[in-house]
Amino acid sequence: MVDFGFGLVPSSRINLDLFDKDKYRELVKIEPDARICMACGSCTAVCTAGKFVHTSLREAIEDILNAKNDKALESLQACQLCGKCSMVCPRGINTRHLILSINKVYSAK
Amino acid sequence: MKNNILIIGGGPAGLESASQLQRMGYNVILIEKSPKLGGHLAKWDRLFPDSVPADEVLGGLLRGAEGVKCFTDTDVRAINRLDKSYNVRLTNGITVLSDAVLVASGFDLFDAVKKEEYGYGVYDQVMTNADLEAYFKTGTDRRIENPGKIGFAHCVGSRDEKAGCRSCSKVCCATAVKQAIEMKQAFPNAEVFCFYMDLRLFGRHYEDIYLKAQKEYGVRFIRGRVAEVSENYDGTLLVKAEDTVAGKPLKVTLDLLVLMAGMRPSGVGKAIGDLLEMPVEEDGYFAVRSGIAASQRSPIPGIFLAGAATGPKTLPETLADARAAAMEVDRYLTEIFPDAKNYKQLVKERW
Amino acid sequence: MTPLLYLLAAQAPDPEVIDRIPSGFSPFVLPFTIGVAFMFSWIGVGLIRLLAAIPKSDRIKFAKSLFIPKTALKNIKDLFCDCLFHVKIWQRKPLLGYMHSAIAFGWFMIIILGHIEVALFVPARLNVTRGGLFYPIFYRYFVWMNPGHTTLRGAFFFFLMDFFLLYILSGIALAIFKRFRSIVLGMRHTTKPSLADRVALYSLWMIFPLRLLAESFTADLSGGSFLTVPVNHFWHFLFGDKLWFMPTWWAYSICLGLFFAAMPFSRYMHILTEVLWILLRNAGIEPNHPRKGVAEAEIYACSSCGLCLDACPMNVQKKNLKYSSVYFIRFLRRHNEKKINDIADKCLMCDKCHALCPVGVNAPALRRAQRATVNNAIPFDYSYLSTASGSTLAGETHATLGTVRGGTGASLCEASGGAERSEAVARPRVLPETATGKVLYFAGCMTHLTPRIIKSVEKVFKAAGVDYVFADREGGICCGRPLMLAGRKEAAAKVIEANKKMIEESGCDTLVLSCPICLKVFKEEYQLQGIRIVHYTQFINDLIASGKLAVKNTGEKIVYHDPCELGRGCGIYLEPRAALGQVGTLVKASKEYDESICCGGSLGSLTLDMKDRGKISESSLDSLLANDPQTIVTACPLCLKTFSEAVSNSKGPRKDVKVKDFAEVICG
Repeated sequence: MVDFGFGLVPSSRINLDLFDKDKYRELVKIEPDARICMACGSCTAVCTAGKFVHTSLREAIEDILNAKNDKALESLQACQLCGKCSMVCPRGINTRHLILSINKVYSAK
Repeated sequence: MKNNILIIGGGPAGLESASQLQRMGYNVILIEKSPKLGGHLAKWDRLFPDSVPADEVLGGLLRGAEGVKCFTDTDVRAINRLDKSYNVRLTNGITVLSDAVLVASGFDLFDAVKKEEYGYGVYDQVMTNADLEAYFKTGTDRRIENPGKIGFAHCVGSRDEKAGCRSCSKVCCATAVKQAIEMKQAFPNAEVFCFYMDLRLFGRHYEDIYLKAQKEYGVRFIRGRVAEVSENYDGTLLVKAEDTVAGKPLKVTLDLLVLMAGMRPSGVGKAIGDLLEMPVEEDGYFAVRSGIAASQRSPIPGIFLAGAATGPKTLPETLADARAAAMEVDRYLTEIFPDAKNYKQLVKERW
Repeated sequence: MTPLLYLLAAQAPDPEVIDRIPSGFSPFVLPFTIGVAFMFSWIGVGLIRLLAAIPKSDRIKFAKSLFIPKTALKNIKDLFCDCLFHVKIWQRKPLLGYMHSAIAFGWFMIIILGHIEVALFVPARLNVTRGGLFYPIFYRYFVWMNPGHTTLRGAFFFFLMDFFLLYILSGIALAIFKRFRSIVLGMRHTTKPSLADRVALYSLWMIFPLRLLAESFTADLSGGSFLTVPVNHFWHFLFGDKLWFMPTWWAYSICLGLFFAAMPFSRYMHILTEVLWILLRNAGIEPNHPRKGVAEAEIYACSSCGLCLDACPMNVQKKNLKYSSVYFIRFLRRHNEKKINDIADKCLMCDKCHALCPVGVNAPALRRAQRATVNNAIPFDYSYLSTASGSTLAGETHATLGTVRGGTGASLCEASGGAERSEAVARPRVLPETATGKVLYFAGCMTHLTPRIIKSVEKVFKAAGVDYVFADREGGICCGRPLMLAGRKEAAAKVIEANKKMIEESGCDTLVLSCPICLKVFKEEYQLQGIRIVHYTQFINDLIASGKLAVKNTGEKIVYHDPCELGRGCGIYLEPRAALGQVGTLVKASKEYDESICCGGSLGSLTLDMKDRGKISESSLDSLLANDPQTIVTACPLCLKTFSEAVSNSKGPRKDVKVKDFAEVICG
């Protein structure tokens, strides 16, 4: 699609065509739980770091799927790995490993 | 010859199928473990979506089942299968020779204590949906004293692998909306918040009460699971969740938190199922012959199922299921059961 | 066979022992000599490399430690107890302990006694140029006992040598038996030997029977005692005078040579490395890399005995055997990066393998070091912690312990730049009670998800009249232990710094923690001067013991679960039991104290999924319910939550067991 005349301003629209399939596959391989989030927000609600700065595993997972990888990393960089999120996740996601894995996969350039 | 049919469970499903089967001319024996008929319905005040009094519905069910031999405070002591029938010894000393057994053992409410972080039984101001119905019925509860802010936590013990229950309990969303409205009616100045993951109200008129809750009562619906509850010095609750629509963690001080405890397979039912060697599925509910085509038949010939024994159901669904089960029993007792010579063959073909 | 066939060396008149072969050499010693020389040079080079790889400060520390009397004494004690007597194995599995100590101590004694004999009877041969390397080993071949001059002294040594040979042989017999029926010696699983292990293992099995054969063949010449002499008579009875002792001495030497040549590549490397590792360990030097420097001594000190296989809670499922410490160390030796990472991440860090390791190899620490090599690259950012001051980190602490600094909140807002972050500033609130107390209660993140712990602790404190302040009532920050467990020591330091500031500013003199995970890191890393750090089990036990808290014994049958971080981690086993003994009847779990099985909920593991964790919980419950308790009591929020869920999700009668927190049971 062409952004008629508005090319200078980056579109804020999510562009699923930019989704990085290979990286996601790599992520799912090392932590299959990346797929099973149902976005309930429990992790973000209890987050120890989230009290201070924006920190959200739920959002990071969504950002990755929405091709906003850098934003995903940003959402996790304050994480203290305390594990509260793993205690409350209704899907039993291995949250700490997922956070580490997202970092490993997506911060590698 | 009048066939004996044993119905296990005196809740809405058991009562409705008893009533139907009796009309068909069968000799129905209904047993109920607790002292009272009616199951959870007897403990409820009003029903969604139209706030019909539960007593009214239960009264109708009981009238329909008049004439049925009902044994309350009665459990199954032993069951053994004869050629085609079941020899059932009851705890009241009676032995029933039953040609078909209908299991309508229903559900248990999830024990909210098990959801540690919500502090049910620990914090003073946390209650369950059942507690709230009891309050509506009796008008007293030490926890409710003109609450200013009330929260409803959906999915307590439902859609939660940690609580051992993956599935949705189907009725809690509608119940929460109903109870939210009722609380607003009782305390018009109260602020009411519903914390949900997905609003799953799909029956006829259910969307209407959702709309009513928003439009007429100003109930706030927040998409995010309640994740942590702590208590302030003054006994009020600090509830944390994420507003996933806003994408921000939130906290709110509440005077009352109502936990929408979900449905779990009945423990008593499970014990009876073990006696009958009835298979259960991964979710703990009884397995059926076929989830679509034969959802009232157990894989074991001669055993039928109705209501929430085969998974969460709303009350209208339960009643419809009970009627269907009655039809299935009738069909079995007229088409398969009487033919002693070809019984096994018929079971193979038609069960 | 007549002695005349042999050349008798001219010796002192009527010597007790005559050097039978003047050259002091026979070709059969070559395999042994080559093998042992190879082994020593390999180790020499390794030692130099290792010492070169550790930081200079550690080298100095190590050298100094050898001369500090206290450390030196501990070194000697540990060397005897761990290397020779294998006391730690004795304590757990007596038969296995006997096996190991028979081989280790027996062999050690034979070598020592051999050298003493040489020193006493043919002292010149101790000189390396005159065969000092092999002569004491093959002493019995080279000498001839003077039948006209037998002394008590000689007979004494003959007896000792035979005695220790028999001792070793009994150990070897058990070892061979163990290969086939390990369970008899108390091991459910044994390690799979590698190729070098096999070569060394089979040589080891052969060495001592061959030694018996060789020495018994020569026993009528070079002397012997209750074992070798009768066997010698038996050979004579069987073969007459035709004894081929050369082949047996050759075989004996070859086996020794093979064993020593294979040693650097096999698990038996531990025999010598263990000595170095004990010295390094006692010097207090810690590995900072999973393979280089000190870690090298540590991983080669592993004897691959496999005790960690049965110890590991994950091994309730056979598929997890490969994640055990023994294999982790084996892959570390082999530089198998992929497998090392997998194993390092899987571990629960319950520390049981370390507690039970006869050599004291701290595999969990190595795993953390391995995790660090990967996880340290992740760019986490904790700058927000340094901008948030103590009071904002832990809600109300400031207000309650006195000084409320005006404008703290505002300054944080500015510092962190953004209205969004004002959320962080929990408004200081004043406690209704006047808090002059010096007791600070820190619940920790996890405890906030198990409110019954907080409620019970507060109830107990109130009942005992403890003047306390709840540091993180409105939530705090993480203690840093989870970061440490993920290998991120430096990141943890930042969290620790922030918490430390908050606690020091509070002015408390006692810090009570209810989470063992916090406790461990507070004790080890925080260095809070003048502040007593206690777990609530200790604190409450003190309250009961000093009569401040009255409790009632309900006679409830209680089993106590030792949380990993509290028991093995901080060595707290007795206080919770002492207190619980006052409110109920304690029953035993089948595995408890330092053998307690992890609940399965541990934060240590990065990759274990819910299903596998569930299996571990089940096995832990099996152990706890061995004596039919009514209630399981634990003193860790994570254990509490894990067990509660495991019990309520399990089927059958287990559902009726209650899971309670320590404080909950104390306050009745």
